[in-house]
Amino acid sequence: MSAESASAIQRNQVDLLDFVDWSGVECLNQSSTHSLPNALKQGYREDEGLVLESDADEQLLIYIPFNQVVKLHSIIIKGPEEEGPKTVKLFSNREHMGFSNVNDFPPSDTAVLSEDNLKGKPVILKYVKFQNVRSLTVFVEDNQSGSDITKVEKIVLCGTTVETTDMKALKKIEDH
Amino acid sequence: MVLEATMICIDNSEWMRNGDYSPSRFQAQADAVNLICGAKTQSNPENTVGVLTMAGKGVRVLVTPTSDLGKILACMHGLEIGGEMNLAAGIQVAQLALKHRQNKKQQQRIIVFAGSPVKFDKKVLEMIGRKLKKNSVALDVVNFGEEDEAKTEKLEALVAAVNNNDSSHIVHVPPGPSALSDVLISTPIFTGDGEGGSGFAAAAAAAAAGGAGFEFGVDPNLDPELALALRVSMEEERARQEAAAKKAAEEAAKQEKGEQSTSQDVNMTDTAKAGTSESENKATDLTDDENALLQQALAMSMDDSSSNIATRDTDMPEAAGDDQDLALALQLSVQDSMKDESSPADMSKLLADQSFVSSILASLPGVDPNDPSVKDLLASMQNQSEHKKDEDKEPKEEDKK
Repeated sequence: MSAESASAIQRNQVDLLDFVDWSGVECLNQSSTHSLPNALKQGYREDEGLVLESDADEQLLIYIPFNQVVKLHSIIIKGPEEEGPKTVKLFSNREHMGFSNVNDFPPSDTAVLSEDNLKGKPVILKYVKFQNVRSLTVFVEDNQSGSDITKVEKIVLCGTTVETTDMKALKKIEDH
Repeated sequence: MVLEATMICIDNSEWMRNGDYSPSRFQAQADAVNLICGAKTQSNPENTVGVLTMAGKGVRVLVTPTSDLGKILACMHGLEIGGEMNLAAGIQVAQLALKHRQNKKQQQRIIVFAGSPVKFDKKVLEMIGRKLKKNSVALDVVNFGEEDEAKTEKLEALVAAVNNNDSSHIVHVPPGPSALSDVLISTPIFTGDGEGGSGFAAAAAAAAAGGAGFEFGVDPNLDPELALALRVSMEEERARQEAAAKKAAEEAAKQEKGEQSTSQDVNMTDTAKAGTSESENKATDLTDDENALLQQALAMSMDDSSSNIATRDTDMPEAAGDDQDLALALQLSVQDSMKDESSPADMSKLLADQSFVSSILASLPGVDPNDPSVKDLLASMQNQSEHKKDEDKEPKEEDKK
């Protein structure tokens, strides 16, 4: 897909950060000193010094639930050239996955990140596979250099919301 | 409170037959498991605990994680000891059991009891450890039973590989008088991470103490200030007693200079140190001793010389430790020697009767009962027998205290 068309589609899409249910966000194998918010949260993720690091080995498993149903269009994963993630598998609506069962289900999409992608070029996903996303699991399988530590600087999820009622936004109407 | 699913890995290998932990390693372990299960289920109502055995024919899951304490306790009965512990398989099966926990919100924790030698390589264990860490499983290890450098090192390496945010712990429990479960109560395995222990843990600790387990019947963990006060008070009292004993020893040594042998000195200091607990015994001794003293005093007045003193000497220092006046009198009497020794009890009665004594003295050859020195002596004897009666009472009163 050309860069032009990507940016064209990009226009209709919004950053899904506002719809992330933070209380449910989980990350397996993250280093305790370099945790997921460094890569995902507004403000932190813009700072290249703050990164998400893997701990025991190069793999990472990130679980991001949304507080309403979304359609996912593309994903931006930024990382350093050497230790940036390479093979990334995305699963939609798979709750409570562990490293032991990542191979049990077919991923909704698999992306092999290029150097351009690591610098901020969005990866366009199979849009049809992500039409009804309540939670997204990102599995980072390996990194560019094959070293033990994977570093992720920034994760951006782009897509649109499905017109549903956000139950949490409901407020009691006062009696007149 | 942490919401946790825990798998406990029991070591039921042949090594558990050893009796170096009372009543046996296996029983001690079972007690500790019961205690931990109780603590875990009490600290959060949604906590679950499962149990598996690592030895025998193979790793066997007795109970999958459940919050039903009864189920857990029941499975501990009728366990068979046999085979060798397979640590690696045990931990991996435990992890699998935890993975399939019903409530995915629960943190995962494995508690391993390792009482037999570890045959696996350090590398293998570290690999397993990293796998646990990757899946954010915490691991606690209770290292007891067989002790060798390699085992400790391996287990520590395992825990170090798992440890993330200080959530994993290792405890070494050497064999000793205190039960395995009692030792565990005060460890982070039991109290959880930096929470100062659950209510159950505190209650269990108090129950375990039972007044006997701790130095003053007070759990130092529950009331550190009280325990400290008690300790300080005891130290002071001990110092005071030692000082008193030392002083008494010195004084007595001064008086006995030249007369007494060193062995008798030792004898006396012993007596002085013995303190109130022996006072009753002493009181009875004293009766005999003092009779002997009076006898000797009498003998002195008789101006008779003989060599019977040796047998008396050993008893006298005991009395000397009690009463300085008495010691002095004794000292005087020792300087001379005497011969005739009839029944001491009769003697004291006779001595109490002054007229009788006077008549005896009068009948003795070469003794003038009217001689002032003899009179003095008689008077002093009278005093001493009074004194003795008082003394008999005093130690008994002290005993009551």
